[in-house]
Amino acid sequence: MTNQKIPLVDTDIHERVCYSDILDKLDEPFKHYIENCHWIQEKHMPYTQPSVAGVDRADAVLPDGRPAGSDLGFMQEQLLDEIGHEYGILTSALDPSPSSMHGWHEMAAALASAYNDWQIENWLDIDERLYGSVHVAAQDREAAIQEIERVGDHPKMVQVLLPIDDIMWGEPYYHPIFEAAEKHNLMIGMHHNEPPVYYGKWPRYFIEWHTLIPTAHMKQITSMMFNGVFEKFPNLGLMMIEGGFTFIPHLMWKMDQQYRDLRHEVPWLKRKPSQIMKEQVRFTTQPAEELTKKEFTSLLEQMGTDEMLCFSTDYPHWDYDSPHRALPNMDRELKQRIFADNAKNFYPKLPNDD
Amino acid sequence: MREQVVCKTSDIEPGEMMKSTFGKQNVLICRTPDGEFYAFMNQCIHQGAPLDKGMMCGAATELSTPGDYDYSHEGEIIRCPWHGREFNIKNEGRMLANPDKKIPSFKVRIEEENVILFK
Ligand code: FES
Repeated sequence: MTNQKIPLVDTDIHERVCYSDILDKLDEPFKHYIENCHWIQEKHMPYTQPSVAGVDRADAVLPDGRPAGSDLGFMQEQLLDEIGHEYGILTSALDPSPSSMHGWHEMAAALASAYNDWQIENWLDIDERLYGSVHVAAQDREAAIQEIERVGDHPKMVQVLLPIDDIMWGEPYYHPIFEAAEKHNLMIGMHHNEPPVYYGKWPRYFIEWHTLIPTAHMKQITSMMFNGVFEKFPNLGLMMIEGGFTFIPHLMWKMDQQYRDLRHEVPWLKRKPSQIMKEQVRFTTQPAEELTKKEFTSLLEQMGTDEMLCFSTDYPHWDYDSPHRALPNMDRELKQRIFADNAKNFYPKLPNDD
Repeated sequence: MREQVVCKTSDIEPGEMMKSTFGKQNVLICRTPDGEFYAFMNQCIHQGAPLDKGMMCGAATELSTPGDYDYSHEGEIIRCPWHGREFNIKNEGRMLANPDKKIPSFKVRIEEENVILFK
Protein backbone atom coordinates (compact mmCIF):
# COMPACT_ATOMS: atom_id res chain seq x y z
CA MET A 1 0.00 0.00 0.00
CA THR A 2 2.57 2.57 1.10
CA ASN A 3 4.95 1.71 -1.71
CA GLN A 4 2.43 2.16 -4.47
CA LYS A 5 3.64 5.27 -6.32
CA ILE A 6 1.21 7.94 -7.35
CA PRO A 7 1.89 11.11 -9.28
CA LEU A 8 2.14 13.78 -6.65
CA VAL A 9 2.69 17.49 -6.36
CA ASP A 10 2.52 18.08 -2.63
CA THR A 11 1.37 21.66 -2.11
CA ASP A 12 2.17 22.07 1.57
CA ILE A 13 5.42 20.86 3.11
CA HIS A 14 6.84 22.57 6.15
CA GLU A 15 10.60 22.69 6.26
CA ARG A 16 11.82 24.10 9.55
CA VAL A 17 14.46 26.64 10.38
CA CYS A 18 16.14 27.24 13.72
CA TYR A 19 17.42 30.76 14.38
CA SER A 20 20.95 29.41 14.65
CA ASP A 21 20.72 28.25 11.02
CA ILE A 22 20.05 31.70 9.62
CA LEU A 23 22.16 33.91 11.87
CA ASP A 24 24.91 34.18 9.29
CA LYS A 25 22.40 35.40 6.74
CA LEU A 26 20.86 38.00 9.01
CA ASP A 27 21.87 41.64 8.69
CA GLU A 28 23.03 43.61 11.71
CA PRO A 29 21.74 44.77 14.09
CA PHE A 30 19.20 41.93 13.88
CA LYS A 31 21.80 39.23 14.33
CA HIS A 32 22.98 41.09 17.43
CA TYR A 33 19.42 41.27 18.78
CA ILE A 34 19.09 37.49 18.59
CA GLU A 35 22.64 36.54 19.53
CA ASN A 36 23.40 39.03 22.26
CA CYS A 37 20.09 40.52 23.28
CA HIS A 38 18.17 37.25 23.57
CA TRP A 39 15.24 38.14 21.36
CA ILE A 40 12.96 35.21 20.78
CA GLN A 41 9.69 35.22 18.99
CA GLU A 42 6.91 35.09 21.47
CA LYS A 43 4.16 32.81 20.30
CA HIS A 44 1.70 31.34 22.62
CA MET A 45 -1.32 29.23 22.02
CA PRO A 46 -3.18 28.90 25.28
CA TYR A 47 -3.89 25.21 24.81
CA THR A 48 -2.45 21.77 25.31
CA GLN A 49 -0.42 20.70 22.30
CA PRO A 50 -2.63 18.82 19.89
CA SER A 51 -0.61 15.64 19.69
CA VAL A 52 2.08 13.39 21.09
CA ALA A 53 5.02 15.47 19.78
CA GLY A 54 3.43 18.91 19.97
CA VAL A 55 2.39 20.12 16.53
CA ASP A 56 4.52 17.54 14.71
CA ARG A 57 4.22 13.92 13.72
CA ALA A 58 6.06 12.09 16.49
CA ASP A 59 7.90 9.93 13.97
CA ALA A 60 9.12 12.99 12.06
CA VAL A 61 11.20 14.30 14.95
CA LEU A 62 14.80 13.56 14.01
CA PRO A 63 16.51 10.62 15.72
CA ASP A 64 19.05 13.03 17.23
CA GLY A 65 16.29 15.17 18.71
CA ARG A 66 16.34 18.03 16.22
CA PRO A 67 12.89 19.34 15.33
CA ALA A 68 10.73 17.74 12.65
CA GLY A 69 11.27 19.19 9.18
CA SER A 70 14.74 20.59 9.91
CA ASP A 71 16.79 18.09 7.90
CA LEU A 72 16.49 17.58 4.14
CA GLY A 73 18.02 14.09 4.21
CA PHE A 74 15.47 12.85 6.71
CA MET A 75 12.63 14.50 4.81
CA GLN A 76 13.78 12.83 1.61
CA GLU A 77 13.81 9.46 3.27
CA GLN A 78 10.54 9.74 5.17
CA LEU A 79 8.50 11.70 2.65
CA LEU A 80 9.85 12.51 -0.81
CA ASP A 81 11.44 9.14 -1.64
CA GLU A 82 9.00 7.03 0.36
CA ILE A 83 5.91 8.49 -1.30
CA GLY A 84 7.62 9.26 -4.60
CA HIS A 85 6.94 12.98 -4.86
CA GLU A 86 7.28 14.56 -8.25
CA TYR A 87 7.33 18.07 -6.74
CA GLY A 88 6.83 19.57 -3.33
CA ILE A 89 6.07 23.17 -2.44
CA LEU A 90 7.79 24.37 0.72
CA THR A 91 5.72 26.55 2.99
CA SER A 92 8.00 26.67 6.02
CA ALA A 93 7.39 27.25 9.68
CA LEU A 94 8.94 30.71 9.89
CA ASP A 95 6.34 33.14 10.98
CA PRO A 96 6.99 36.85 10.43
CA SER A 97 3.23 37.49 10.66
CA PRO A 98 1.91 40.67 12.25
CA SER A 99 0.51 39.12 15.41
CA SER A 100 3.50 36.96 16.19
CA MET A 101 5.96 39.84 15.63
CA HIS A 102 3.96 42.20 17.85
CA GLY A 103 4.57 45.17 15.57
CA TRP A 104 8.34 44.79 15.14
CA HIS A 105 8.22 44.71 11.36
CA GLU A 106 11.89 45.66 10.95
CA MET A 107 12.89 42.36 12.54
CA ALA A 108 10.16 40.53 10.59
CA ALA A 109 11.51 41.86 7.29
CA ALA A 110 15.11 40.96 8.19
CA LEU A 111 14.10 37.44 9.21
CA ALA A 112 12.14 36.94 5.99
CA SER A 113 15.16 37.90 3.84
CA ALA A 114 17.56 35.70 5.78
CA TYR A 115 15.04 32.90 5.58
CA ASN A 116 14.62 33.17 1.82
CA ASP A 117 18.38 32.96 1.29
CA TRP A 118 18.61 29.95 3.59
CA GLN A 119 15.69 28.23 1.87
CA ILE A 120 17.23 28.70 -1.58
CA GLU A 121 20.67 27.57 -0.52
CA ASN A 122 19.72 24.54 1.58
CA TRP A 123 16.57 23.21 -0.05
CA LEU A 124 15.64 24.63 -3.46
CA ASP A 125 19.14 24.47 -4.91
CA ILE A 126 19.74 20.98 -3.53
CA ASP A 127 16.65 18.89 -4.21
CA GLU A 128 15.26 19.36 -7.68
CA ARG A 129 11.79 18.27 -6.56
CA LEU A 130 11.40 21.15 -4.13
CA TYR A 131 9.93 24.55 -4.97
CA GLY A 132 9.65 27.45 -2.58
CA SER A 133 7.67 30.34 -1.19
CA VAL A 134 8.93 33.91 -0.92
CA HIS A 135 8.58 35.00 2.69
CA VAL A 136 7.78 38.62 3.31
CA ALA A 137 6.81 40.76 6.25
CA ALA A 138 3.74 41.96 4.43
CA GLN A 139 2.75 44.28 7.25
CA ASP A 140 5.61 46.45 5.96
CA ARG A 141 4.42 46.89 2.40
CA GLU A 142 7.52 48.52 0.96
CA ALA A 143 9.88 45.98 2.53
CA ALA A 144 7.69 43.18 1.20
CA ILE A 145 7.86 44.56 -2.34
CA GLN A 146 11.63 44.95 -2.10
CA GLU A 147 11.97 41.33 -1.03
CA ILE A 148 9.77 40.12 -3.89
CA GLU A 149 11.95 42.14 -6.26
CA ARG A 150 15.08 40.65 -4.69
CA VAL A 151 14.27 36.92 -4.81
CA GLY A 152 11.08 36.67 -6.86
CA ASP A 153 12.91 35.78 -10.04
CA HIS A 154 14.55 32.71 -8.56
CA PRO A 155 13.42 29.92 -10.89
CA LYS A 156 12.13 27.78 -8.04
CA MET A 157 10.16 30.41 -6.13
CA VAL A 158 6.53 29.86 -7.09
CA GLN A 159 4.52 32.00 -4.70
CA VAL A 160 4.55 34.79 -2.14
CA LEU A 161 3.34 33.62 1.22
CA LEU A 162 0.91 35.82 3.14
CA PRO A 163 -0.26 34.99 6.65
CA ILE A 164 -3.88 34.58 7.60
CA ASP A 165 -3.67 36.63 10.70
CA ASP A 166 -5.07 40.01 11.64
CA ILE A 167 -4.81 41.88 8.33
CA MET A 168 -7.41 41.57 5.59
CA TRP A 169 -5.30 41.40 2.45
CA GLY A 170 -7.98 42.75 0.10
CA GLU A 171 -7.34 46.22 1.57
CA PRO A 172 -6.16 48.42 -1.34
CA TYR A 173 -3.11 49.62 0.59
CA TYR A 174 -1.58 46.15 0.06
CA HIS A 175 -2.35 45.84 -3.65
CA PRO A 176 1.16 46.85 -4.71
CA ILE A 177 2.31 43.55 -3.17
CA PHE A 178 0.04 41.71 -5.60
CA GLU A 179 1.35 43.82 -8.44
CA ALA A 180 4.92 42.82 -7.57
CA ALA A 181 3.95 39.15 -7.30
CA GLU A 182 2.17 39.18 -10.64
CA LYS A 183 5.13 40.87 -12.27
CA HIS A 184 7.38 37.98 -11.20
CA ASN A 185 4.95 35.23 -12.19
CA LEU A 186 4.40 34.37 -8.55
CA MET A 187 1.08 33.27 -7.12
CA ILE A 188 -0.12 34.18 -3.63
CA GLY A 189 -0.12 31.36 -1.08
CA MET A 190 -2.06 32.01 2.10
CA HIS A 191 -1.52 29.91 5.14
CA HIS A 192 -3.03 30.53 8.52
CA ASN A 193 -0.84 31.53 11.38
CA GLU A 194 -2.84 32.12 14.49
CA PRO A 195 -5.89 33.76 13.04
CA PRO A 196 -8.53 35.16 15.27
CA VAL A 197 -11.57 33.00 14.71
CA TYR A 198 -13.66 33.90 17.71
CA TYR A 199 -14.63 37.57 17.67
CA GLY A 200 -10.95 38.46 17.60
CA LYS A 201 -10.01 36.15 20.46
CA TRP A 202 -9.04 32.60 21.22
CA PRO A 203 -11.96 30.29 21.96
CA ARG A 204 -11.73 28.18 25.11
CA TYR A 205 -10.53 25.00 23.44
CA PHE A 206 -8.01 24.17 20.72
CA ILE A 207 -10.66 22.01 19.06
CA GLU A 208 -12.91 25.06 18.68
CA TRP A 209 -10.11 27.15 17.22
CA HIS A 210 -8.91 24.42 14.88
CA THR A 211 -12.44 23.63 13.71
CA LEU A 212 -13.06 27.27 12.83
CA ILE A 213 -9.85 28.01 10.88
CA PRO A 214 -11.75 27.67 7.58
CA THR A 215 -13.78 30.71 8.61
CA ALA A 216 -10.57 32.77 8.64
CA HIS A 217 -9.78 31.45 5.14
CA MET A 218 -13.27 32.42 3.96
CA LYS A 219 -12.78 35.93 5.28
CA GLN A 220 -9.58 36.41 3.28
CA ILE A 221 -11.09 35.12 0.03
CA THR A 222 -14.11 37.37 0.54
CA SER A 223 -11.87 40.36 1.22
CA MET A 224 -9.71 39.76 -1.87
CA MET A 225 -12.79 39.08 -3.99
CA PHE A 226 -14.87 42.18 -3.24
CA ASN A 227 -11.90 44.52 -3.07
CA GLY A 228 -11.34 43.57 -6.69
CA VAL A 229 -7.90 42.01 -6.37
CA PHE A 230 -8.67 39.28 -8.93
CA GLU A 231 -10.09 41.73 -11.46
CA LYS A 232 -7.20 44.12 -11.00
CA PHE A 233 -4.58 41.34 -11.32
CA PRO A 234 -6.05 38.81 -13.73
CA ASN A 235 -2.88 36.72 -13.86
CA LEU A 236 -2.70 36.38 -10.11
CA GLY A 237 -3.85 33.20 -8.42
CA LEU A 238 -4.52 32.52 -4.78
CA MET A 239 -3.71 29.19 -3.14
CA MET A 240 -5.51 28.75 0.18
CA ILE A 241 -3.34 26.43 2.22
CA GLU A 242 -4.53 24.18 5.01
CA GLY A 243 -8.04 25.44 5.48
CA GLY A 244 -9.76 22.37 4.05
CA PHE A 245 -12.19 22.51 1.15
CA THR A 246 -15.69 21.47 2.12
CA PHE A 247 -16.73 25.10 2.56
CA ILE A 248 -16.05 25.97 -1.10
CA PRO A 249 -19.58 25.42 -2.49
CA HIS A 250 -21.08 27.41 0.37
CA LEU A 251 -18.78 30.36 -0.26
CA MET A 252 -19.42 30.30 -4.02
CA TRP A 253 -23.18 30.23 -3.60
CA LYS A 254 -23.13 32.86 -0.89
CA MET A 255 -20.91 35.29 -2.77
CA ASP A 256 -22.88 34.88 -6.02
CA GLN A 257 -26.18 35.52 -4.32
CA GLN A 258 -24.80 38.52 -2.44
CA TYR A 259 -23.29 39.87 -5.64
CA ARG A 260 -26.62 39.73 -7.43
CA ASP A 261 -28.19 41.83 -4.67
CA LEU A 262 -25.30 44.13 -3.87
CA ARG A 263 -23.34 44.57 -7.09
CA HIS A 264 -23.82 48.35 -6.85
CA GLU A 265 -21.28 48.49 -4.04
CA VAL A 266 -18.53 46.61 -5.88
CA PRO A 267 -19.20 47.38 -9.55
CA TRP A 268 -15.62 46.51 -10.50
CA LEU A 269 -16.46 42.84 -10.36
CA LYS A 270 -17.11 41.85 -13.97
CA ARG A 271 -17.38 38.12 -13.38
CA LYS A 272 -19.48 36.15 -10.92
CA PRO A 273 -17.52 35.51 -7.73
CA SER A 274 -17.86 31.75 -8.24
CA GLN A 275 -16.41 32.14 -11.72
CA ILE A 276 -13.48 34.13 -10.34
CA MET A 277 -12.90 31.44 -7.75
CA LYS A 278 -12.91 28.74 -10.43
CA GLU A 279 -10.39 30.67 -12.46
CA GLN A 280 -8.08 32.13 -9.83
CA VAL A 281 -8.45 30.43 -6.43
CA ARG A 282 -7.19 26.97 -5.47
CA PHE A 283 -7.28 24.99 -2.25
CA THR A 284 -4.91 22.48 -0.71
CA THR A 285 -6.75 19.44 0.56
CA GLN A 286 -5.30 18.88 4.02
CA PRO A 287 -6.72 18.59 6.64
CA ALA A 288 -9.25 16.59 4.66
CA GLU A 289 -12.52 15.88 6.36
CA GLU A 290 -13.27 12.16 6.23
CA LEU A 291 -15.68 11.95 3.31
CA THR A 292 -17.13 8.89 1.65
CA LYS A 293 -16.61 8.57 -2.07
CA LYS A 294 -20.23 9.60 -2.59
CA GLU A 295 -19.86 12.69 -0.41
CA PHE A 296 -16.60 13.66 -2.12
CA THR A 297 -18.09 13.25 -5.61
CA SER A 298 -21.13 15.27 -4.65
CA LEU A 299 -18.92 18.04 -3.26
CA LEU A 300 -17.00 18.27 -6.55
CA GLU A 301 -20.31 18.47 -8.38
CA GLN A 302 -21.39 21.30 -6.13
CA MET A 303 -18.15 23.15 -6.90
CA GLY A 304 -18.85 22.70 -10.59
CA THR A 305 -15.22 21.83 -11.29
CA ASP A 306 -12.60 19.33 -10.26
CA GLU A 307 -9.78 21.74 -10.95
CA MET A 308 -9.73 23.64 -7.66
CA LEU A 309 -8.31 21.01 -5.29
CA CYS A 310 -4.59 20.35 -4.94
CA PHE A 311 -3.41 17.54 -2.72
CA SER A 312 -1.20 18.39 0.25
CA THR A 313 0.29 16.42 3.12
CA ASP A 314 1.27 19.21 5.55
CA TYR A 315 4.32 17.09 6.45
CA PRO A 316 5.71 16.98 9.14
CA HIS A 317 2.81 18.32 11.16
CA TRP A 318 0.62 16.24 13.44
CA ASP A 319 -2.40 16.46 11.17
CA TYR A 320 -0.45 15.17 8.15
CA ASP A 321 -2.60 13.63 5.43
CA SER A 322 -1.36 10.40 3.88
CA PRO A 323 -1.60 10.44 0.06
CA HIS A 324 -2.76 6.83 0.28
CA ARG A 325 -5.43 7.23 2.91
CA ALA A 326 -6.74 10.77 3.28
CA LEU A 327 -9.09 11.00 0.30
CA PRO A 328 -11.57 8.42 -0.94
CA ASN A 329 -10.70 6.26 -3.95
CA MET A 330 -11.17 8.00 -7.24
CA ASP A 331 -10.64 7.20 -10.88
CA ARG A 332 -7.23 7.72 -12.43
CA GLU A 333 -8.02 10.91 -14.33
CA LEU A 334 -9.47 12.63 -11.30
CA LYS A 335 -6.59 11.47 -9.16
CA GLN A 336 -4.13 12.79 -11.71
CA ARG A 337 -5.80 16.21 -11.54
CA ILE A 338 -6.10 16.50 -7.77
CA PHE A 339 -2.72 14.96 -6.95
CA ALA A 340 -0.69 16.66 -9.67
CA ASP A 341 -2.16 18.51 -12.65
CA ASN A 342 -4.22 21.13 -10.84
CA ALA A 343 -1.13 22.39 -9.03
CA LYS A 344 0.95 22.26 -12.22
CA ASN A 345 -1.68 24.28 -14.06
CA PHE A 346 -1.87 26.78 -11.22
CA TYR A 347 1.79 27.62 -10.62
CA PRO A 348 3.25 29.07 -13.83
CA LYS A 349 6.80 28.33 -12.66
CA LEU A 350 6.21 24.65 -11.94
CA PRO A 351 7.32 22.44 -14.85
CA ASN A 352 4.32 21.23 -16.79
CA ASP A 353 4.88 18.89 -19.71
CA ASP A 354 1.26 18.80 -20.83
CA MET B 1 -2.23 -22.64 14.63
CA ARG B 2 0.53 -20.13 14.18
CA GLU B 3 2.53 -18.92 17.10
CA GLN B 4 5.75 -17.10 17.62
CA VAL B 5 7.92 -15.62 20.35
CA VAL B 6 7.94 -11.86 19.73
CA CYS B 7 10.06 -10.68 22.69
CA LYS B 8 11.12 -11.46 26.23
CA THR B 9 9.05 -10.23 29.17
CA SER B 10 12.12 -8.35 30.38
CA ASP B 11 12.26 -6.38 27.09
CA ILE B 12 9.32 -4.21 28.13
CA GLU B 13 8.81 -2.45 31.43
CA PRO B 14 5.24 -1.98 32.68
CA GLY B 15 3.80 1.15 31.03
CA GLU B 16 5.92 0.74 27.91
CA MET B 17 5.57 -0.68 24.43
CA MET B 18 7.75 -1.88 21.58
CA LYS B 19 7.40 -3.00 18.02
CA SER B 20 8.12 -6.50 16.79
CA THR B 21 7.11 -8.79 13.96
CA PHE B 22 4.73 -11.71 13.89
CA GLY B 23 5.41 -13.50 10.62
CA LYS B 24 5.39 -10.65 8.11
CA GLN B 25 3.10 -8.52 10.22
CA ASN B 26 4.42 -5.46 12.11
CA VAL B 27 3.04 -5.71 15.59
CA LEU B 28 2.99 -3.57 18.70
CA ILE B 29 3.50 -5.21 22.08
CA CYS B 30 2.19 -3.18 25.00
CA ARG B 31 2.73 -3.86 28.68
CA THR B 32 0.22 -2.10 30.87
CA PRO B 33 1.23 -0.85 34.35
CA ASP B 34 -0.29 -3.97 35.98
CA GLY B 35 2.32 -6.04 34.10
CA GLU B 36 -0.06 -7.59 31.51
CA PHE B 37 0.94 -7.94 27.86
CA TYR B 38 -1.19 -7.03 24.82
CA ALA B 39 -0.46 -7.10 21.12
CA PHE B 40 -1.90 -5.10 18.24
CA MET B 41 -1.22 -4.41 14.62
CA ASN B 42 1.45 -1.69 14.60
CA GLN B 43 -0.45 0.45 12.15
CA CYS B 44 -3.07 3.01 13.03
CA ILE B 45 -6.49 2.23 11.58
CA HIS B 46 -6.96 5.88 10.66
CA GLN B 47 -4.19 6.67 8.17
CA GLY B 48 -1.63 4.00 8.93
CA ALA B 49 0.86 5.69 11.29
CA PRO B 50 3.39 3.47 13.11
CA LEU B 51 1.84 3.25 16.57
CA ASP B 52 5.10 2.42 18.37
CA LYS B 53 6.15 6.04 17.75
CA GLY B 54 3.16 7.26 19.73
CA MET B 55 2.77 7.05 23.50
CA MET B 56 1.11 5.08 26.24
CA CYS B 57 -0.70 7.34 28.64
CA GLY B 58 -3.99 7.86 30.45
CA ALA B 59 -7.03 9.70 29.19
CA ALA B 60 -9.90 11.89 30.17
CA THR B 61 -12.75 9.40 29.88
CA GLU B 62 -16.32 9.28 28.70
CA LEU B 63 -17.39 9.75 32.31
CA SER B 64 -16.33 13.40 32.07
CA THR B 65 -19.17 15.91 32.06
CA PRO B 66 -18.97 19.46 30.63
CA GLY B 67 -16.30 21.32 32.56
CA ASP B 68 -15.51 18.33 34.78
CA TYR B 69 -12.71 15.99 33.73
CA ASP B 70 -12.60 12.33 34.69
CA TYR B 71 -9.04 11.09 34.13
CA SER B 72 -8.03 7.45 34.42
CA HIS B 73 -6.66 4.40 32.54
CA GLU B 74 -3.10 5.60 33.23
CA GLY B 75 -0.75 3.65 30.95
CA GLU B 76 -3.63 1.85 29.25
CA ILE B 77 -4.19 4.20 26.33
CA ILE B 78 -2.23 4.22 23.07
CA ARG B 79 -2.05 7.65 21.49
CA CYS B 80 -1.21 7.68 17.78
CA PRO B 81 1.94 9.60 16.75
CA TRP B 82 0.14 11.44 13.95
CA HIS B 83 -3.36 12.71 14.70
CA GLY B 84 -3.33 11.66 18.32
CA ARG B 85 -6.35 9.35 18.29
CA GLU B 86 -6.64 7.39 21.53
CA PHE B 87 -7.13 3.63 21.75
CA ASN B 88 -7.92 1.68 24.92
CA ILE B 89 -5.56 -1.27 25.31
CA LYS B 90 -7.75 -2.95 27.94
CA ASN B 91 -10.87 -2.56 25.83
CA GLU B 92 -9.75 -4.53 22.76
CA GLY B 93 -7.92 -1.53 21.32
CA ARG B 94 -11.14 0.44 20.80
CA MET B 95 -10.95 4.10 19.82
CA LEU B 96 -12.13 6.38 22.60
CA ALA B 97 -13.82 8.79 20.20
CA ASN B 98 -15.50 5.97 18.28
CA PRO B 99 -15.57 2.64 20.14
CA ASP B 100 -16.98 0.85 17.08
CA LYS B 101 -13.48 1.00 15.63
CA LYS B 102 -10.57 -0.93 17.06
CA ILE B 103 -6.99 -1.76 16.22
CA PRO B 104 -6.78 -5.43 15.20
CA SER B 105 -5.26 -7.38 18.08
CA PHE B 106 -3.43 -10.66 18.57
CA LYS B 107 -3.70 -13.23 21.33
CA VAL B 108 -0.80 -13.28 23.75
CA ARG B 109 0.44 -15.82 26.24
CA ILE B 110 3.50 -15.85 28.43
CA GLU B 111 5.64 -18.93 28.87
CA GLU B 112 8.52 -18.44 31.26
CA GLU B 113 10.40 -15.43 29.85
CA ASN B 114 8.75 -15.57 26.44
CA VAL B 115 5.99 -13.36 25.09
CA ILE B 116 4.21 -15.50 22.52
CA LEU B 117 1.69 -14.33 19.95
CA PHE B 118 -0.70 -16.88 18.53
CA LYS B 119 -3.70 -17.07 16.24
S1 FES C 1 -3.02 7.80 11.63
FE1 FES C 1 -3.41 7.43 13.70
S2 FES C 1 -4.73 9.00 14.33
FE2 FES C 1 -4.42 9.33 12.21
